[in-house]
Amino acid sequence: MSTAVMKITRTETYRTVADALWQNNPISKQVLGICSALAVTVQMNTAIVMALALTFVVAFSNLIISLMRNVIPRNIRIIVEVAVIATLVIIADEVLKAFLYNISKQLSVFVGLIITNCIVMGRAETCAMSNPPYLAFVDGLANGIGYGSVLVGVSFFRELLGSGKLLGFQVVPQAFYDMGYMNMGLMLLAPGAFIVIGLFVWLEHALLNR
Amino acid sequence: MSDGVKTILFATVLCVVCSLLLTMASTGLKAFQRENALVDRQKNILQAVGAVVPGQPYAAEDIKALYQASIQCISVSDEGRVLSAEAAPVNAMPLYLYLQDDQVKAYILPVDSRGLWGRIYGYLALDTDGSTVAGFSVYQHAETPGLGGEIENQWFQRNFVGKRIIDASGDFVSIGIAKGAVKNVIRQDLQPNYVDGISGATMTGKYLSEGLQDILQTYEPVSLHFRNQGMLKIPEKALVCQPPS
Repeated sequence: MSTAVMKITRTETYRTVADALWQNNPISKQVLGICSALAVTVQMNTAIVMALALTFVVAFSNLIISLMRNVIPRNIRIIVEVAVIATLVIIADEVLKAFLYNISKQLSVFVGLIITNCIVMGRAETCAMSNPPYLAFVDGLANGIGYGSVLVGVSFFRELLGSGKLLGFQVVPQAFYDMGYMNMGLMLLAPGAFIVIGLFVWLEHALLNR
Repeated sequence: MSDGVKTILFATVLCVVCSLLLTMASTGLKAFQRENALVDRQKNILQAVGAVVPGQPYAAEDIKALYQASIQCISVSDEGRVLSAEAAPVNAMPLYLYLQDDQVKAYILPVDSRGLWGRIYGYLALDTDGSTVAGFSVYQHAETPGLGGEIENQWFQRNFVGKRIIDASGDFVSIGIAKGAVKNVIRQDLQPNYVDGISGATMTGKYLSEGLQDILQTYEPVSLHFRNQGMLKIPEKALVCQPPS
């Protein structure tokens, strides 16, 4: 059993995934992509859709750029990366507008702003340009999920404390409000997100340094 | 092949492939997006008269059915007359009527106003007394999220309900967006003509006030008709308005 686990933990795929999800989580360790993490985490619905959109973009941009890594001329590689990322982002945005119109309206500009998200560009430069397609794709997926997990975690606390709901359903019973419980307005505003993300960063560092 | 030629060739191929993909996505999904936008506009019209509760999820079919049942769009001339289907459509303006049991409960004006970063589109509903605002909704804008973007939020839109577009002596004054809270910055006797402004969005408020004034001025003959004679007489074959594309 333990040798099997050892074998898995030694593979490059495992290291890539673990790195993106935990040791080097894009938000709580590298503190990237904070702008969107503040903006879309008021509700879990929008956070989940945003996480899916970003995972789609970063996984496929990594895959496509990795496939082309040997033919991309070095002097225009950043432009090529941006073109690929922008194309994927616009496709994701169009699909959301067609099938998840209300959520797409709530996300407003933030889906479009995935283009400027440092995570996507960073993975393209550091991983996709120097790794084979399979590893680059897994790296993209893992980074998207690493970003998404923090987003969903933050939105869980913000929606629960800020509006007493989860995924749009009321979870704090009316009896609590009758007894004088009040929703925490701060959680709906950007400062609330800063505080929750700060706590996540603290938690991650504390656990890593243990 | 020299490096320069290779670079240009690569860039060209990449651009063509990307634009092809984007064109496919855009044309392939256009029908769905148009349908969504149409239902969203219908929902906003219903929201302006309080027929749907904002923030609540509705199925597209429910919205369409409710719209079909309670909203009628007619064309009016710039003098406030309802145009019949036979009349030549000169200067026809769309006017939405909110009907309950065949009674007109409110009329709704389409709002197309200047904003700070782009046009603001929405609906302003007025009671059949021709002077009291029944509701306001916004379905498309490009204002800054968190600042001017607050115009799409409930607290701002609810402010409009019950406000008046005429002053105490009955003259048309439109409705303005105050620079701050109405009860602090507006004279007592003018307070019914103003709604609370949004802090950090002075320009959005200014442009939207001007936009609303324009719209209300344009439709003033219609409002005047409601004020003086009550209900509009809708001819049997009223000219159905052209929904904006």
